[in-house]
Amino acid sequence: MRPYFENMPEFGKELKKGALKRTEENLAEIRKAEAEIAEAVEKVKNAGFPTEKINARGQMTVWQRLEYLVDPGTWCPLHTLYNPADNAEGTTSVIDGLGKIEGRWAVIIGFDNKVMAGAWLPGQSENILRVTDLAKRLNTPLIWLVNCSGAKLPEQEKFYANRRGAGTPFFRHAELAQMGIPVLAGIYGTNPAGGGYQSISPAVLFAHKNCNIAVGGAGIVSGMAPKGHFDTETAETIIEKARHFKSVPPGRVEIHYNETGFFRYVFEEEKGVLDGLKEYMGKLPAYDPEFFRVAAPQPPKFSTEEIARLLPLAQKTVYDFDEILSRLTDGSQHTEFRPDYGPEVYTGLIKADGFLLACIGNRQGYLGKDYPEYADYPGFGGKLYRQGLIKMNEFVTLCGRDRIPIVWLQDTTGIDVGDDAEKAELLGLGQSLIYSIQQTDIPMMLVVLRKGSAAAHYVLGGPTANRHNAFTLGTVATEIYVMHGETAAVATYSRRLVKEKDAGCPLEPVIEKMNALAQDYYNKSRPLFCARNGLVDEIVNLADLRKYITAFAGAAYQNPKSICPHHQMILPRIIRG
Amino acid sequence: MAEEILAPLAGKIVKMFMEAGKTVEEDDEALVIEAMKMETPVYVPCNGTVKEIKVKEGGEVEEDDVLAIIE
Repeated sequence: MRPYFENMPEFGKELKKGALKRTEENLAEIRKAEAEIAEAVEKVKNAGFPTEKINARGQMTVWQRLEYLVDPGTWCPLHTLYNPADNAEGTTSVIDGLGKIEGRWAVIIGFDNKVMAGAWLPGQSENILRVTDLAKRLNTPLIWLVNCSGAKLPEQEKFYANRRGAGTPFFRHAELAQMGIPVLAGIYGTNPAGGGYQSISPAVLFAHKNCNIAVGGAGIVSGMAPKGHFDTETAETIIEKARHFKSVPPGRVEIHYNETGFFRYVFEEEKGVLDGLKEYMGKLPAYDPEFFRVAAPQPPKFSTEEIARLLPLAQKTVYDFDEILSRLTDGSQHTEFRPDYGPEVYTGLIKADGFLLACIGNRQGYLGKDYPEYADYPGFGGKLYRQGLIKMNEFVTLCGRDRIPIVWLQDTTGIDVGDDAEKAELLGLGQSLIYSIQQTDIPMMLVVLRKGSAAAHYVLGGPTANRHNAFTLGTVATEIYVMHGETAAVATYSRRLVKEKDAGCPLEPVIEKMNALAQDYYNKSRPLFCARNGLVDEIVNLADLRKYITAFAGAAYQNPKSICPHHQMILPRIIRG
Repeated sequence: MAEEILAPLAGKIVKMFMEAGKTVEEDDEALVIEAMKMETPVYVPCNGTVKEIKVKEGGEVEEDDVLAIIE
């Protein structure tokens, strides 16, 4: 199949002087917005105790542990700004992402030991579930850096119980084990109760000499046997026990290495734990990338830095999707599927790091005379019409057949509406696409380049494709909502306006509410809002999109659950005809 | 050689960046047409001088209308 993939047609064009000049302002705005996101990320990194204080205790911070553990240049952070319960700590207190360890992709997550010694916080279990879902979807090892002091007790009612509560990750670890996905844990510090189960639920435990894991920690053991109230005698007993258990906590290495053997390995130094994890990663099953590569890796012909010139921050401004894609693919090469059908949607094969990927994206702008064919109004990219929906259904189905992971690049205002659109079966075709996605069982990633709106956000590989969507990225241009705020205000208040008008009442109070609703929609669709509430898994600089796509490709092809031999693929042949 | 800039779609001219007699470069933004709530930038196709502008900001155009001539 070398002739199909080695030299695919090149696309995209160099930015000329005029284009460079006219895109300067957009570039500056994007850079400014990306700096604001970086500032928010920095706040998360600085949450809790200062690094110096942790280091003075002889400990590394989770950030230092990650930096030591992960191969340089491969870290793709996820959920950095995720904080759905708006914790005062500014974080869910777990840090995670995709990265390579000893040349192999892994999903990596660690408790932030600067923040309440890695306590359970509201929103944390949902963060962890996203991470276990990611390992499951990509079939990659899950590496834990456990350092968890247990529940933040004054807020336990927010996360302890429930269907997706703090206990659910332990079931997910068991599920991963059943699926043959290794979960390794490096364990530091004091890990009582919930922290104990965080430590014991992985498959192989790498312990630091000073760590402990226990069903109940010093705090609980000191204060058990309640008698209905506290008094001085009880307080004195608690003080004595607390002093004792602080120096001799339950579940020390001498118990769980010497007695139970739960700890497979014990290390003198903090870095030793990480070295142990690195060494073990080298023992886990992984295909050599050469098994799946369809061509030698090569950078795009045009710089990824130029994407910040090509994607207008102004939501109404039309742009050329193909120019952006050409800056994300190996050699700026691709093979397009059905270019003459469904012009609002790009579907094609691309390469990242020599791996074959499928790509689906929204083209923007006027779609030409007589399109959509079923209506007498002009079609515009960003919207989905009958042909585009049919084309995506076909493409996704063929990708499933050929086992090609899919990258979705979304910028959509929705599916076409009205009686003509209903007659053209768009409602049914949208759901058909959901069915097509569901039956592929291949990993997908999504980038919401700009808009994610209406049902189109679902059907274009959105996080709602939750069994196949490994992760969803946003950019500084991302906005996600069920509909534009002004449209929502009209939908909400149009009847009220009529009633007020008919009653001869002033319209201003209703207009005020409409403006307030539109503003609220705006505020609650910004990139930071999307990241904090999990509408996206990370806001990524435009120049880093290729890095994430490459990581996705590498991880998806590291240990896929099924294989389609290159020479048995049908999609490239259908494209060639 | 004169080259015409044609309207790629029907709509309203919401921004005009060209001035008659001024030199322009290929890929400069010539004007912006608004239609279906979206703004479509139209770019200058070649280096040259704006010989004539046939539309005004605020005016409506049809697809393939001549917007300007570059010489």
